[in-house]
Amino acid sequence: MGASLVKALDGLTLTIAEGEFVALLGTSGSGKSTLLNLVGGLDQPTSGSLSVGGRNLASLTRDELSLHRRHTVGMIFQSFNLVPTMTAAENVSLSLMFAGVPRTERLTRATALLESMGLGGRQHHRPKELSGGEQQRVAVARALANQPPLLLADEPTGNLDSKTSTEIMNLIQTLNERDGKTIILVTHDAALAATYARRTVTMLDGHILSDTAA
Amino acid sequence: MTFYDTLSLALRNLRQSRLRTALTTLGVAIGIASLSGMMSLGVGLQEQVVGRLTQSGVFDSITVTSGGGFAALLGAPGGGRGGRGGQGRGGRQGEARSNTPLDDAAITRIEALPHVNHAYPNVRVSMSMKVADYSGGVTALGVPDSARGIGAFETITHGVFFPDAQTEAAMLSLDMASQINEGDPASLVGQVITLSYAIASPTTDSPDAGRVVTRTERRFPIVGIVERDPDAGMASQGLAGLMIPIAHAQEISETMVTSAQSLLRASSDRPRTYTSVTVRVDGAQHTQDVQTQIKAMGFTTFSLHDALQGAKRAFLLLDILLAVIGSIALAVSSLGIVNTMVMSILERTREIGIMKAIGGSDRDVRGIFLVEAATIGLLGGVAGILLGWFVGRLINIGANMYIESQGGPAGNLFSLPWWLIGGALLFALVISLIAGSYPARRAARLDPIQALRHE
Repeated sequence: MGASLVKALDGLTLTIAEGEFVALLGTSGSGKSTLLNLVGGLDQPTSGSLSVGGRNLASLTRDELSLHRRHTVGMIFQSFNLVPTMTAAENVSLSLMFAGVPRTERLTRATALLESMGLGGRQHHRPKELSGGEQQRVAVARALANQPPLLLADEPTGNLDSKTSTEIMNLIQTLNERDGKTIILVTHDAALAATYARRTVTMLDGHILSDTAA
Repeated sequence: MTFYDTLSLALRNLRQSRLRTALTTLGVAIGIASLSGMMSLGVGLQEQVVGRLTQSGVFDSITVTSGGGFAALLGAPGGGRGGRGGQGRGGRQGEARSNTPLDDAAITRIEALPHVNHAYPNVRVSMSMKVADYSGGVTALGVPDSARGIGAFETITHGVFFPDAQTEAAMLSLDMASQINEGDPASLVGQVITLSYAIASPTTDSPDAGRVVTRTERRFPIVGIVERDPDAGMASQGLAGLMIPIAHAQEISETMVTSAQSLLRASSDRPRTYTSVTVRVDGAQHTQDVQTQIKAMGFTTFSLHDALQGAKRAFLLLDILLAVIGSIALAVSSLGIVNTMVMSILERTREIGIMKAIGGSDRDVRGIFLVEAATIGLLGGVAGILLGWFVGRLINIGANMYIESQGGPAGNLFSLPWWLIGGALLFALVISLIAGSYPARRAARLDPIQALRHE
């Protein structure tokens, strides 16, 4: 084991306003995913500060951090991260379960969300019975279940073909434009960033290389 | 997250690995079965031994002797007169303070104490006996009518108890009956027993007149034969082969001549006193109390109550030993729970990561795993109690077959009281929670980013 310290993020200052659609663009190891995980409350900075909605995530306890993940952010991943043994509806209601929503209300809300994602009639299917695009839409529904203002997407189209990618990106764009969700999209695809995001932050080795509005 | 939600997630996880859950549960079941089986053996044996002794009336009876302490230690058993006979062995409770006479008035006072069922003098007379072709010496014990149906007289092997306190009737011990008629002791019921002893009559009315000793006979029909020795446990009093109503025993005792010395005693000028009196208490738990009160009257008392306490202590030690042996299997099965839970966490690492990413707190995750462990523990506990009970029944059947072939009485060697069932279930729950606490804590502390990368 080497003793060398790797700084995934270093001397970085970034402000994102409510309602923005920002793409974090960079190669692997550029620190874009680390930044996303920090905003999502999956990780905490070793130094510096990070505020989301006025709360400094660096000073939150583990319990407070789980509340942040539950209510403030919704996350979408490249590999969907659905629980394979649960149906689509159960996956969506899982995040409602942690929020303490009663069982009947959970099912109603999960079904409605899935229908709005174009997955009506699919709610009792397990992830492996669904296509990649469908799985990602279930993941989006789950991310939106607790109505967070902030949606974090980590390479959401990385495992999808181009047609399905377009569908998912259009969905995310709609959530930004119609519902006013703030979107942070992590991608290594410059074209994707340019097409959908209104602001692109390019990163390299933990620093910001450029920050351009479309 | 509500407890119901936690439970439903936990049950769903257990269902997903049915075989592993079943095997782990079986492990706990075997552990609980061995623990509850061992303890139920301890309790069963204790009930057998203590229960049988308690039934024999040993522990709810107190023997009271007159306060003379030293004098009472001397002398031979028998006779009803004051100053003679008494006890040889046993845990005598303290020394008497005064020489209160143990007479009818004392018996009345003792009977007035709370929890005392009745008190009666121990009257034993040695005489010659003749029945059928048999003749020999016998010690006759006076039995009060109140002994009907209790202690040794709970079951009369052949025949019946005395019709009433006054009718002339006799009962034999089975030992004595077998001695008289080895082939068919039961046939003695209905035969008449002839008892002979010496009495003295003055030659004139003068107090200093000489006395004539003559032989007298009394005839008692045999009404019953009892198997158990009425004084089981009171070894010092010896075996009584013959039992007659106490009024007759007293009458014989007062008139009979046992030695030349007894001829010198005036027979009617002082109140009757007794060597010893048996006091029956309405429950072994009151023996100590009553004993203390009788001692306060100035008598010496003796009971096997202390011996019972000793036996109970010995059984407590046996129970602890059996529980320790039984716990070894449970300790092994609790390691099984730890193993299963750790495996389950490894398999479900990614799922734990997902739950945390969408807002599950440490407490939520820990709760799910603790409830899983507790469920295994409870299911194992229920199955274990059933298993232990079943195996206990099997062993009991086998053991009783052996005991009966050896001529002993059958009984329940295993006893499963409610407190043992409840205790075993609670113990299974606690053990499984302890076993599950480390894996659950580990799951709760998982780093969500690492967990999500886990394949």
